[in-house]
Amino acid sequence: MTQWFATLLRRLLSLMALMVAGGFLAATLVRYSPGYGVDERELDPRLSQNSIEWMRGQHHQDAGLIRYYGKYLEGAVRGDFGTSESLHRPISQLLSERFHVTLRSVSLAVITAWSAAFALATLSWLFGGWLFELSCTLVSGFMLSLPAAVIALLFFYLRAPVFLAIAVVMFPKLFRFIHNLLSHASQQPHVLAARSRGIGRPQIFLRHILAPAAATLVALLGTSASMGFGTAVPIEALCDSAGIGQLAWYAAINRDLPLIMNLTLIVTLITVACNSFADYSSKLISREI
Amino acid sequence: MSVRKRLRMIASFLLCGIFLLAFAAELVTPYSYAKQFREVPNAAPSELHPLGTDGLGRDLFSRLLYGTRVSLLLAPAAALLSTLIAGALGGAAGLLGGWRERAILAIADLSLASPLLFVLIALRAMLPLNVAPLVSVIATFLILGLLGWPSSLRVIWAATRNIRNSDFLLLARSTGCGPTRMIFRQIFPNLRPALFAQFWVSIPVFILTEATLSMLGLGVSEPMPSWGNLLRGLEDFSAVGSNPGRLAPLAMLTLVVICFQIILPSREDLG
Repeated sequence: MTQWFATLLRRLLSLMALMVAGGFLAATLVRYSPGYGVDERELDPRLSQNSIEWMRGQHHQDAGLIRYYGKYLEGAVRGDFGTSESLHRPISQLLSERFHVTLRSVSLAVITAWSAAFALATLSWLFGGWLFELSCTLVSGFMLSLPAAVIALLFFYLRAPVFLAIAVVMFPKLFRFIHNLLSHASQQPHVLAARSRGIGRPQIFLRHILAPAAATLVALLGTSASMGFGTAVPIEALCDSAGIGQLAWYAAINRDLPLIMNLTLIVTLITVACNSFADYSSKLISREI
Repeated sequence: MSVRKRLRMIASFLLCGIFLLAFAAELVTPYSYAKQFREVPNAAPSELHPLGTDGLGRDLFSRLLYGTRVSLLLAPAAALLSTLIAGALGGAAGLLGGWRERAILAIADLSLASPLLFVLIALRAMLPLNVAPLVSVIATFLILGLLGWPSSLRVIWAATRNIRNSDFLLLARSTGCGPTRMIFRQIFPNLRPALFAQFWVSIPVFILTEATLSMLGLGVSEPMPSWGNLLRGLEDFSAVGSNPGRLAPLAMLTLVVICFQIILPSREDLG
């Protein structure tokens, strides 16, 4: 119990350290990117020299990196991530409006892609002959060769749900991994021994293949979150889905650096948390086994 | 000859053919990639324009050949860069051990956990978007090369660790072999297959990522063609319906990525 608590505490601390270090890195990149501190409103002929001087003064106040970062951290603790330069709205407000859209799409996509990949890999192991195997390899190989943005366009034309497009991008990667994992596990000596004893294929699969592979499968579940969020960018941007993927693309196109940096940092934290959880669960499972 | 070997041979021939076609673009097509035929925008395939023209009246066949050159030249360059970074960091982590190994692996794990596309577009957004086309090409592939190393690092680190614990390295050390000589004569030759495999694996990944970035308007900028920005032509669905030649970049990209997948070295090849 104490060891469990210590591990959990260690992971939480590492997440916090990541947040502080990642925030500093993001602040450094924003502060030293070309064009920082240049306000296009300075070009407005209606503004007086005093107004322009005031705007420059405001930018000058945040010029030091430590001061800039300190101000950012102070706001972040209160849930204030600053203001979007292109949309002129608080970033926390934009996040609360859009995050649930992406979370829903990615969650559904992970469930769909996992179910399809796992079902197909299992069927391939249980009943598949060389033709089934070849068809699966060809289809997954072809799907792996398509850019995510092309799949997004196709789904946009078909007016299919966004989560399905994300699932289609994730499916071949998951299928190949699960298929290889099951094939590798089925070549282990204990599986051959079980076969020679005449134990049925379903029983071998459940007891001697799936059980040892469970820990790796759970670890893969953690990386699926990262895969899903990454795929959400082109899919949401091209399918016009109002999630944070589309927001990230919009921010990049408009060089809205505070917005894109905050989004990247938050998504990284979420995916790292998912990975840590999956990694921890995977270790627990392998210990149980 | 096994089926796999035959397939590999066919894939290699196809890739060589596409490379040659792309590098001899000036000889194959008389038009430059930016030349406009304003009287025939969105034209269907004809004798003058084998794949038709785009919305600005530019010859699609010429753009495809020059775009192939850009993608096929720079994706391997980015793969080389990322493999070199992974080799240097993974090798250092595997050989040095201790806290330095843990620190390098922690950075790699963190980079692996963060969604690559988010980080890519964040870094791309740091640079001005309205840069010269050549600068956009270099920036895109440089960013890909600089960010694509973490997955390769894990493999190279594992290979280096195996070498570190090997008998031949112990023997070399006991005979007084210096660190530089050991790295270049003992470690590097044994790491070569892993480095080669990682380089080869990265190429199709970078080709696909560039395509997605350029389709989002964050990659290679116009008028320079690349497979990614040629695929933007697919956004106009009615034009695709009237001129299926617009699908040629997609067909070419898919074919090349499949060829790369087929000729990837297998475990048996790597020993």
